[in-house]
Amino acid sequence: MTRGAVISIIVLIATSSAIAGDIRGKVKARGWKHSGDAVVHIDKIQGKTFPAPAKHAAMDQKNLVFIPHILPVLAGTTVDYQNSDDVLHNVFSPDKCAEKFNLGTWPKGQTRSYLFKEAGCFPVMLCNVHPEMEAYIVVLDNPYFAVSAKDGSYEITNVPAGKYTLKIWHERLKSQSVEVQVPETGDVVVDFEIRR
Amino acid sequence: MKRVIVGFLATASLMLLFTEESYGIPAFSRKYRTSCSTCHYAAPMLNAFGKAFKNNGYRYPAGTDPEMTKEEPVSLGSEAYKKVWPNAIWPSDIPGTSPVSVWAVGRINYAAMSTVKWEFEIPHEVEILYAGTMGEEFSFFGEVEIENEANATEIAFPFALQYDMSPGLHVRMGMVHADPTPNHLKLTRNHYNMASFRSRNGWRFRDEHVGLEVWGAGNGSGERGGFTYRLGVVNGQGLSDMNRDKDYYAKATYKIGGLGEVGGTEGAGSDVSDFFLDDNVTLGAFVYSGTASKTGVLDENFSIVGGDVDFWYKRFILNGAIMLMDSRITGTPQRKSMVYYAQANAVLYPWLIGLIRYEWEDQNTDLDAVKPVNAVIPGITLMARANVKLMFEFKKFFDEDSKKKDTFGIQVNFGF
Repeated sequence: MTRGAVISIIVLIATSSAIAGDIRGKVKARGWKHSGDAVVHIDKIQGKTFPAPAKHAAMDQKNLVFIPHILPVLAGTTVDYQNSDDVLHNVFSPDKCAEKFNLGTWPKGQTRSYLFKEAGCFPVMLCNVHPEMEAYIVVLDNPYFAVSAKDGSYEITNVPAGKYTLKIWHERLKSQSVEVQVPETGDVVVDFEIRR
Repeated sequence: MKRVIVGFLATASLMLLFTEESYGIPAFSRKYRTSCSTCHYAAPMLNAFGKAFKNNGYRYPAGTDPEMTKEEPVSLGSEAYKKVWPNAIWPSDIPGTSPVSVWAVGRINYAAMSTVKWEFEIPHEVEILYAGTMGEEFSFFGEVEIENEANATEIAFPFALQYDMSPGLHVRMGMVHADPTPNHLKLTRNHYNMASFRSRNGWRFRDEHVGLEVWGAGNGSGERGGFTYRLGVVNGQGLSDMNRDKDYYAKATYKIGGLGEVGGTEGAGSDVSDFFLDDNVTLGAFVYSGTASKTGVLDENFSIVGGDVDFWYKRFILNGAIMLMDSRITGTPQRKSMVYYAQANAVLYPWLIGLIRYEWEDQNTDLDAVKPVNAVIPGITLMARANVKLMFEFKKFFDEDSKKKDTFGIQVNFGF
């Protein structure tokens, strides 16, 4: 890499961080056992596209539980499903936007994968061997998202300054959206109270 | 009120009844935070994993039980006490919450020959079940069963304590598995004819047999399929033996293909899966030798040999079993009997199973005067929820003597 290229990258990073802010806040989930697992994300940004990441996302099946329970990904992301148990597991989705895929079953330590193409798709993941197991993939069209912690806190970092629609998605509670102005530096606080 | 209570007590005769161990245990659902269908094809019938769980002494396979257990057990001594033994009691644990479940059964019956053709027998039976593990080497299974039998109340309270040295070697005491009919396959409310067939002095497989049993299981090559065996010595009849002779039995099976008998996932990749699928064929053979006693008659010595086949392919199961009984009572002609059945199940949906069974029972194969009993049992099992089951079942007899004994029944079971 030439010295010029290195300088360009440094300038680009410095510039982009200089004009990017953070969105943070708290989610209060009414009528739910905790305030975690809500996905706060920026709605579609007109005129902007984001290339699918080459790196695969991962969802584990461990002790009869999908980990994580909620996995937001950028459209075009491949998710690898690992079986970490000494029992057979399966992954399928009954949702059309995920082509009702069914990956069959595979031994401990191995993975099978699925590519999530369509943004705006929130397919449920199920295991037809253990019907209590459930997880969600939240497919988004930009990388500005966060999953709330159990206490409801969330933070989306390094968002380019500008005006956006900020949305919240929850597996059981109603979605909401608010307009948000992200400053060039610092952060903006947006709290949500979601309910059934 | 007092008269009602006295009347009830007077009419409710408390009798001892023996039962088979074949029920779903919701306490395991709580312990592992998992659905009934993890272990059951349609409770109480076990699926492949349920059999592997049982073969591991009611534990998850491959030593993973501690990490799969979601309810923290109560320690009865820390692990380090193993170093102190014999100067301390060997450490163990008990379930973190009470391992008790309830299984309730109600019936609507139709009997063609009965004076009262239709009846609502709700409840037919209530079971209080308990099962679990105690430390790494002991497990237990028991029940208190209260059942209506023609307005008399029957009570049974069998249990088994098991020492689980390894999946390949368990020692069981109490309620054992002398009945060779594969009870994990019993999807119907009607018992298997083989289980209900009586010897001349009234002995039958279906009655619970109490004694000692050594049994075990192991995976086959490539960790698929595998073997099971059991050897036992039992009273034969009753909690207090009715004669001085003990009964002996043995059964062995070999499973070709499918999930390993003790579980594991090696070589188990497939493009399809479901909790009720396990393509395999299992072959079994058994022997039983016993003495049956009845008041006022001479003892009966009998021996039984038999075999069974169990074939699972996609959504279908075909299975059948046959037994040949040879009965000897001094001063009477030897009696030879043959009993068999064949059954087919099809999973129409994971919650809807169709089945049909054909049964044949020839009490005396050398005597043409005694006609064989043969019947067909078509039925539907509907799982309204994983723990709520409805069964619709018809039993149609073909032989002349039984022709008018046809029955129809609806049964609801639920457990929690």
